Formats: sequence, structure tokens, C-alpha cells
Amino acid sequence: MAVSFDRARLAPLKDAVAVVGVGETDYGKDYRGARGQAVSKGEARYDSYTLASRALKRALDDAGLKKDDIDGLCVGGTLSGERASEQWGLNPRWSGGGDAAQCIIEATLAINAGLCTTVALVYGNAQRSMDTAYGGARVTGGAITSYFYYAPWGMTSQGALYALFFQRHKLLYGTTDEQLGAVAVAFRKHACLNPNAVMQKPLTIQDYLNAPYIAEPLRLNDYCLINDGGVAIIVRRADLARNLKQRPVMVSGFGWSEENVDATQLRPRLKTFYHGAHHDVAAQVYPMAGVTPKDVDVFATYDSFSVHLLASLEGFGFCKEGEAGAFVQGGRIEIGGELPCNTSGGMLSESYMQSWNHQPELVRQLRGGLGNRQVQGAEVAQYVHDVAGKCKSLIYTRGA
Amino acid sequence: MATARPVRAMDPYAEQFWAFTLSRELRLQRCAACGKFRWPPGPTCDRCLSDDFAWSPLSGKAKVLSWTTFRRGYFPEYPPPHTVVALELAEGPLFISYPVDVEPSDLRDGMTLELRWIDATDKFGEYNLPVFGPPAARG
Ligand SMILES: [Zn+2]
Repeated sequence: MAVSFDRARLAPLKDAVAVVGVGETDYGKDYRGARGQAVSKGEARYDSYTLASRALKRALDDAGLKKDDIDGLCVGGTLSGERASEQWGLNPRWSGGGDAAQCIIEATLAINAGLCTTVALVYGNAQRSMDTAYGGARVTGGAITSYFYYAPWGMTSQGALYALFFQRHKLLYGTTDEQLGAVAVAFRKHACLNPNAVMQKPLTIQDYLNAPYIAEPLRLNDYCLINDGGVAIIVRRADLARNLKQRPVMVSGFGWSEENVDATQLRPRLKTFYHGAHHDVAAQVYPMAGVTPKDVDVFATYDSFSVHLLASLEGFGFCKEGEAGAFVQGGRIEIGGELPCNTSGGMLSESYMQSWNHQPELVRQLRGGLGNRQVQGAEVAQYVHDVAGKCKSLIYTRGA
Repeated sequence: MATARPVRAMDPYAEQFWAFTLSRELRLQRCAACGKFRWPPGPTCDRCLSDDFAWSPLSGKAKVLSWTTFRRGYFPEYPPPHTVVALELAEGPLFISYPVDVEPSDLRDGMTLELRWIDATDKFGEYNLPVFGPPAARG
């Protein structure tokens, strides 16, 4: 594979863009519904634009900016860029879209290229109200072939693919169910410190083990939530980010690598746990930001399944390959531990915003003042995005 | 009457793969230029981009790499519990299937399984589904 990234060209992009505003919907309140009961699947209450609009308004208020300050737009989830722009009365000078990490990288590039100065990144997904399916007969196509290709054999769902992944990890390294359970337990502990999180009931390791299997060896609490929500993030050219309402949080490093060769066969998933992509991204994101894994104060990983954390920790060098099961024990990944992970509760316990809810949390941890959820002295935060080998990472640092 | 299965993902290359199963032949495309097997079927070799290939018959031998048991139902055709295996074919490609004549609790890493056929049908018509079981006892 050709050498891709160029450190000299990337160097000036370090700290060139800042996150100046974040906002999201009331995940827990919306999930429980107006009558204090869980919203039933398929009970349409809002559409994705309702949620996204609410989040955008809150992010602008958080930044102390007005709609007219926005000259770029990225949309994620189920939103269409055209409809979103129309809805919000925007005529952007640049637009993009995708997952949160992709949007932050693309917006940083667009701002640095001089196309725009202030980009709103907005996500909305009324997936619970709309009864979105992530497995079974209703999943028949899409960008990632492995999600549906093996339906004739009864194989379906991203969860079952991660069950194969974890079973392989168990076979190779002797990782145990109890070890994996520490991930769901830690994230739930964090959610209980986050009043906006959907899940508010503590989870013990015994509760975890007693819960039913979905695709064995994965159990109920290894799976993310399905809930409605919206998230918005405002990023701005660094020189325009000073003297706003909030302390800026700098985008200090990013990396991107995809492992798609033999992806439907599940070769990178089962043979190397996507570490090829992880290593590529690590080789870019840490030098660009000028930090190492040891400097990371707060960590977040895409966590549609608990297993993602094991893969990220091994792939980015927080521990050796095969040792993540042991690494996540003893409170190490909890707030107050050596490497607090998914401190909002993540997608397992806060909100399944498909990478978007992690960004406001990391930004707020670096701003400080989160009370008993605050990671003391947080200066460097890392997000790892790994969806079926499509890997990106961001490093944020506390701005002046 | 063949057993109904969840619908296959179909394209011009998958059509040819499934057509061979009517005569109980498991064949994968093999690049005529560099020899790489490919799965799922497709127009070009991902290693060298040649579109020259032959449908090469496989030995039907495979080793177990991983497995999962569905405890929740996703397809009416496969009520839980239903176990799926990830296999490494003797020729190299990885292949998803399900095990027959072996209890999930008896599956082991690296265990050898061999090709079997089960009749199947979906909206595209009848076909045979390649599944895998313990090697037949030698007599
Ligand atoms: Zn070739």
C-alpha cells in the first residue's frame, strides 16, 4: 500500500479549527416519553429533522453564535443536506456529510482550504419512533455487504458479526464473558452520572451475566440502545474561535484508514480484529497531535457493541493484542481510573447517536466543570471510530 | 418441496454461483491471471483487476474459525437457537455457513468440517445451500 499521509502537509492543520459549540436533545426524557413511559417502537413522535433542529439551536446557543454565522453544513444520520439547509434557512458555501469523525475531518479540511469559516455538523435520527431495523428480513441492502449477504444461512445483524469477533477473541486469547462485562458495567456507571443519559439504573457484573444472550456470546447489555435523538457540533477557524461564549476545544489530530479488502468474508474482522486500520490511523493521529496514548486523559470509542472497546484499546496501543480483557478490569476504564472511557455512558447507556454523542462529551470534559462526571485535569481527549473496519480517530485538546 | 430460506443477495455473478448449487457443486471464481479465489462473486479480481476467471471447484474441506448462536429470532425461517459458523476453506477464502450434525457446544477452534447440501428456495427459485458437518466416518 502506498504511503498516504504527509506529516509536513498535515502539521499546519493541528489546532487550526476549534469546536465552539455543542448541543443535543433530551435523550432520557424523550426515551421515557411525556407520560413517563418508554416510547414504543414504531410510535412516531418526531422525525429526524425535529430532533436535529433542536440540537442545532442548542449548539448555536452554546457557542453564542447565530444561524447567519454558519457558512458550511455537514449532515449525518437520516438527514438530507438539501432539506436540512432549507429547513434551517441556510445557503452553505460548502457541505458534506457522514459520521461525526468524518464530518469533523472534512470540515477541518474545508475551513483550511478557505471554503468556509464556521461549519454546523448536525445529526438527527428518529430510529426508535420509526422502528428502524438493524437485522433480519428488513435489512436487505446497504453499503456494508456483510450485514445482509449471509441471510440464506440465517446470519444477520451487526451484533452477530461482533459475536463472531468476540468468540474468536475468546478462542485466541482466553478472554472471558466476565471480562467483557466490565465494559457495559463501566459505561452504565458513567450514564448514572449523566442526567441526560437514557439508562439510569446501575448494572452489576451479576446483572450483566444474568441478562439473556442475543447472539451468543454477546448478551443484552453488550448491545447499544435504539433511541431517538439529535446532536449538533459547531466548528470554526481557530482565530475566530477566541472570545466566544465557551473555551474553545482544538481539533489537534486526525487519522483515517479503511480495511475493506475481503470485508464481506469477514477476514479483517476475524483474522486481525481490524488492527491494520487501527495501526494506520494511530500512526497518523498521534504524531499529528504531538501526543502518545499515555497522554490521553479521556477516551471514547464507537460502541454499538461493548466489544469495540477491546479492539480499539489493543489496536491503538493502550495494551498488547489479546490483553484488553484484562486491561478493562478493576475500574481502569472508569472515571477516576487510568483511562476513563465513554464517560457519558456511550451508545450502550447514554444514547445511540452513531458516533455523534461522543463528541459533545469529550468537548465538555476538556472545557471542565462536569461535576462528579468530570475527569480531573483533562487536557487531551481521543475518539476512535471503527465501524466494520472503516476507522477514523480524532484528538481534541483543551484550548486557551 | 424445498425449504424456504431468507432471500439471497443476487447479482449476475451470484446468479452463476447459485446455479452450480443445483448440481451440488461448490465453485468460486478464481482469477485466471493471478490465481486468487474470490468471495463473494464479482466482476474483477481485487488483487490484480483482471476480469478473466474460471469457476473453480472446491474440495469442500474447511476449518472452524468462530461461531455464534442466535438466541433471539431474526428470520422466521431460522427460529432460535440457531448457530452460524465462520469457516476457513481449504482453498483460502473465509465462508459463513451453519453447522449440521454437530452440537454448538462441540465446536472447536480449527475443527475440520466438510461440505453438505440442503435443499432451499426463495423468491429467485430453488437451489441448494452449502452447509458443513463433521467428516463422514470412513468405512
Ligand atoms: Zn488476479
